Amino acid sequence: MQEPPTAPTTSQSSVSQGHLTTPGQGSNTGLQYPKSPPAPGQASTKTKVPPVRRMRRIIAEDAEWSLAIVPLLTELCIQHIVKNFQNNPILNQLLPEHQQKVLSHLSPDLPLTVTANLIDDESYWRRCCAQRWPVCHVTRYGGSWKRMFFERHLENLLKLFIPGTTDPSVILSLVPLCKRYVRRIQVDQFLPPVQLPTTSQPGDQSDSGSEGEGDGPTQDHYQLGDLVAGLSHLEELDLAYGVKDCGMNFEWNLFLFTFRDCQSLAATIKACHTLKIFRLTRSKVGDEKARILIRSLLDHPALEELDLSNNFIGDRGARGAAKLLSHSRLRILNLANNQVRAPGAQALAHALEHNTCLVSLNLRLNCIEDEGGQALAHALQTNKCLTTLHLGGNELSEPTATLLSQVLSVNTTLTSINLSCNHIGLDGGKQLLEGISDNKTLLEFDLRLSDVAQESEYLINQALHANREAARQRVLNPGHFVSFINAKGPQNSVR
Amino acid sequence: MNPSGAHGVLEQNGEEHISTPIHGPSIHSDNPQERIQARRLRIAARLEARRREALGEYLDGKKESEEDQSKSYKQKEESRLKLTKLLLCGTELVTNIQVATDIREIHRRVEEEEIKRQRHEKLENEVKTSQDKFDEITMKWEEGKQKRIPQDLWEMLNTQQQHCAGLIEDKNKLISELQQELKIKDDQYVKDLKKQSDDICLLLERMEEQVKNVMKNFRQELYHIEKAFEAERQELMTSNKKKWERALQAHNAKELEYLLNRMKKVDDYEKQLNKQRIWDCEEYNTIKIKLERDVQILEQQLQQMKATYQLNQEKLEYNFQVLKKRDEESTVIKSQQKRKLNRLHDILNNLRSKYIKQIKQFHEENQALTSDYKRLITQFKELQKAMRHFALIDEEQFREIWLMNEEEAKSLIRRAFDVDQVISIQHLGLTWTMPDFWFLKNVGPIFQQQKKSATQILEEVLLQTEEEGAEAATPDTESYLDLPKQISAKTTKKILMLLCDESGFLIESKLLSLLLPLEKSECYLLRLDAIFSVSPTRQEMTWGEKWSMSSQHCLKEQETLEGGQEGRIVGREPEEKEAPLSPRLIHPNDVLKVLEAFVMGLKKPKDFHPPPRIQKYGRDNSKDSEYWEALTTVIPLAKLNLWDALYKALEKYHLVLTQRIKQLMENDTLEQQNTELQSLLQQYLQSKVNSELQVPPTQGFWLPAK
Repeated sequence: MQEPPTAPTTSQSSVSQGHLTTPGQGSNTGLQYPKSPPAPGQASTKTKVPPVRRMRRIIAEDAEWSLAIVPLLTELCIQHIVKNFQNNPILNQLLPEHQQKVLSHLSPDLPLTVTANLIDDESYWRRCCAQRWPVCHVTRYGGSWKRMFFERHLENLLKLFIPGTTDPSVILSLVPLCKRYVRRIQVDQFLPPVQLPTTSQPGDQSDSGSEGEGDGPTQDHYQLGDLVAGLSHLEELDLAYGVKDCGMNFEWNLFLFTFRDCQSLAATIKACHTLKIFRLTRSKVGDEKARILIRSLLDHPALEELDLSNNFIGDRGARGAAKLLSHSRLRILNLANNQVRAPGAQALAHALEHNTCLVSLNLRLNCIEDEGGQALAHALQTNKCLTTLHLGGNELSEPTATLLSQVLSVNTTLTSINLSCNHIGLDGGKQLLEGISDNKTLLEFDLRLSDVAQESEYLINQALHANREAARQRVLNPGHFVSFINAKGPQNSVR
Repeated sequence: MNPSGAHGVLEQNGEEHISTPIHGPSIHSDNPQERIQARRLRIAARLEARRREALGEYLDGKKESEEDQSKSYKQKEESRLKLTKLLLCGTELVTNIQVATDIREIHRRVEEEEIKRQRHEKLENEVKTSQDKFDEITMKWEEGKQKRIPQDLWEMLNTQQQHCAGLIEDKNKLISELQQELKIKDDQYVKDLKKQSDDICLLLERMEEQVKNVMKNFRQELYHIEKAFEAERQELMTSNKKKWERALQAHNAKELEYLLNRMKKVDDYEKQLNKQRIWDCEEYNTIKIKLERDVQILEQQLQQMKATYQLNQEKLEYNFQVLKKRDEESTVIKSQQKRKLNRLHDILNNLRSKYIKQIKQFHEENQALTSDYKRLITQFKELQKAMRHFALIDEEQFREIWLMNEEEAKSLIRRAFDVDQVISIQHLGLTWTMPDFWFLKNVGPIFQQQKKSATQILEEVLLQTEEEGAEAATPDTESYLDLPKQISAKTTKKILMLLCDESGFLIESKLLSLLLPLEKSECYLLRLDAIFSVSPTRQEMTWGEKWSMSSQHCLKEQETLEGGQEGRIVGREPEEKEAPLSPRLIHPNDVLKVLEAFVMGLKKPKDFHPPPRIQKYGRDNSKDSEYWEALTTVIPLAKLNLWDALYKALEKYHLVLTQRIKQLMENDTLEQQNTELQSLLQQYLQSKVNSELQVPPTQGFWLPAK
């Protein structure tokens, strides 16, 4: 405690450190106050009053004297505690009201080693956050300012970590302080090691991305293993291997998720049993890496959401994801903007047929085409769990729409479907309209830019509106929802 | 479409439902088709009703709520719908950009693929052609080696060079083309970047706009809703106000009416009041006069009273004086009394002490007396014993004397009879017979045995049994009842009690109530008495029979109660009967014996047994004199007369004889006279006792014997 390691001690006086570390406890420190020649500047002005006067409660010769000017002893004590908090943190021994006072006067610049495990007061951490970041969205951190502070602090450290040059203990020393509060690590930038002699010729730049894997350890990023192992409450990992704001210094090397990174990450997430959400986006994850990662996630005890969007995952990766579906309790799977084609979609559909956990599936901007779409539609006929399905931009056309319309008339769990940016066509739209007119649960159905006739789109929207109203009524008064559907149904069809 | 179909059916149903009451097909119609139709309609109507029931609540609720808060509710619904639409539209608008970029990306990808393919083809073609060219060139090198002529070689080299240059140029061209493409792509990239930034800007703009719009709309809708509420409130207020005003007006009108009524009433009351006042005045005057008169009278009375008062006062004063004096006297008396009281207290104390002393004394005396009493009792007992003893002795003596006298009498009688016999046989020559008299057979004193009534016997029995405990020593075995030996007195008593209980029907209820307070034994006694007195004319025998019957009856009952025990008891010795084994038991055999004995005992003449309790009842000596009288008259008067006559005759005879003797013996007598006279003198002197005998019974006999 007395020796903060390398913490950037800002303005704390080293003079007071000497004589106050000795016995000073609670009120004693306050009593010592008048006798000792105090170092802090503000207090020194007050102590110039002769010591004799201090002993008296009434001073008749001084017309301006009044008892009110004299600060209360408790006030003085609190001031002193605040002043010397870094060296002698006294908080829990105080009365609640004094605690509040002390907390409201503490500086947000205090080293974390002192405050991290001692202070739980939200207002203090709020001040800390407000001081460091202009925009603070506390609801994203479960309403806890402390959690926000630590998560963002850790994020900043990880963002600016340069392997090879930055000392890893900077991060690891933080682990005992923040392990109780950090639930999410969200890093959208991992800096590569600095290469002092720029070995890469300008001519090589264009194709170094393809060869990057061969470059070995030099391109590896920070290994999260130790950090994640230390954080006992970690639930979410949101990573993106890349560099932000590189501007004109762009190099493909900067956006390189190496095999070693991949393996270490896989080991990390396998070891972290509390992990619920794992996101790895915009990191050029190919099939092989995806399979490595997914293999480590098989039979994970807690994982609920997997997001591998904006990567280069192909059919093999999709097959791996399909295997994961049947070997875990995954609820949300996001493979948007990848390179999944029909075989991958078929594999996913096969897994989906008997799955009872998956709630949301996102395959936006892939290329599963009709074959995959039909397979998925078949799977949905037996599936009783999936509620959200995003198939936007998948080159789907009428056959899928026909099958999907059949699914819609049968399925009662799906609430949201996105088929935008496909080539559904006029007939497909009509079929979908037919399917949706039998459905009472679907609330969202996106058919924008999919060549569907405006009329059928409008009618579909009407049906969706009716369903939404029904759902609202169901929530408001659960007893009458059946009758409501009966009552509303005919009207809509007439319209 | 299913719902529409359903709706169609519904509508149809509705129409039918409406139409049924007007001209619906009847179930009772003759046409079977119509009947079927009617049934169908009925089923449909039922279904409809059920469905409506299910819907009903909700619809009703909704309708009600709509009616209740129509305006605000409508407004709310409207704005909600509007806002949801707005939100939907807004999100669509915002996401449109994403969708657009998506589709652009897809198009781009498709194009890129196409271009890539083309490029590949192109490159492959190029490779092929260049390979051909290269092959040609290498072929030509071989050709060149064979060339010997320098010109040819030079020419060939030139052409080779040209070919190579062409090849390189081709390649360069391709490269430049590709570079061109790359450049274009770079431009494209920059453009795309720009475009994307534009898109992002647009997105942001739209989002902001959306937010603003939504905010605005929400505000507006809020305002509308508020307005609607306000309007509704206003409406409600106005309606309420109107109602209020109407009520107020009505109230005012009523108030006015009330006021008028009141005024009218006030007038009335005033008039009445005036009338009343006048009347009161008159009455007041009359009363005043009357009262004044009364006052005068009262004053007079007052005077009188005063006078009497004074009189009374004087009297009372006098009385007071007297009383004072009396009081004084009484105080004196009181003191006296007090003194007296004290004295009396003293006396009382003295007396008390005396009393205590006396109590002590009396106690002592009492003790002494009790001891005396005890002593006397013992003495008395002794005396009694002695008396009994003496009685017995007396009795014995009496008996002995009696016997002696009797003996004497009898001997005399016997002598008389002998004499009589001699006389009658010798003198009269008659046959003599022994006269027969009852008393001649009698030996010992005569006992008069009274016949006792049953009750007396009973009493005796009862008392006996009672006393038994106390004086077991008294020998009661010789009870005159002479009960069979084996039947103890106790059993007898039992039987009697049983009889008493059983034959209660013979007793009058009055008697029973009277008997209640009496003692047990007395009670039994009286009861038995009553029972026996029911039929006094009857013979005891019949009584006995009846009794035995009833007792048998009782015994039967008892038999039933006792059960098999009886048999064993029969065989027992009579002594054992008294054993505590079965004190309550009366053996059936015994009962009969007891009763028989009882009855027989009553009838039996009391010849044999001397009276056991002579001392108790005394002796009846009425017959004694008779007896003795009879004894005297054993020789009847006729005989005596005979005897007298005989005597006279004999006397005469004797006289003759004596005269003869006299003369005969005058000599002797005279001779012996002297001696005789001397002896006679002496005899007379000695026999004074003879003179004392009152009744010389032997005189009669003596003389003749002499």
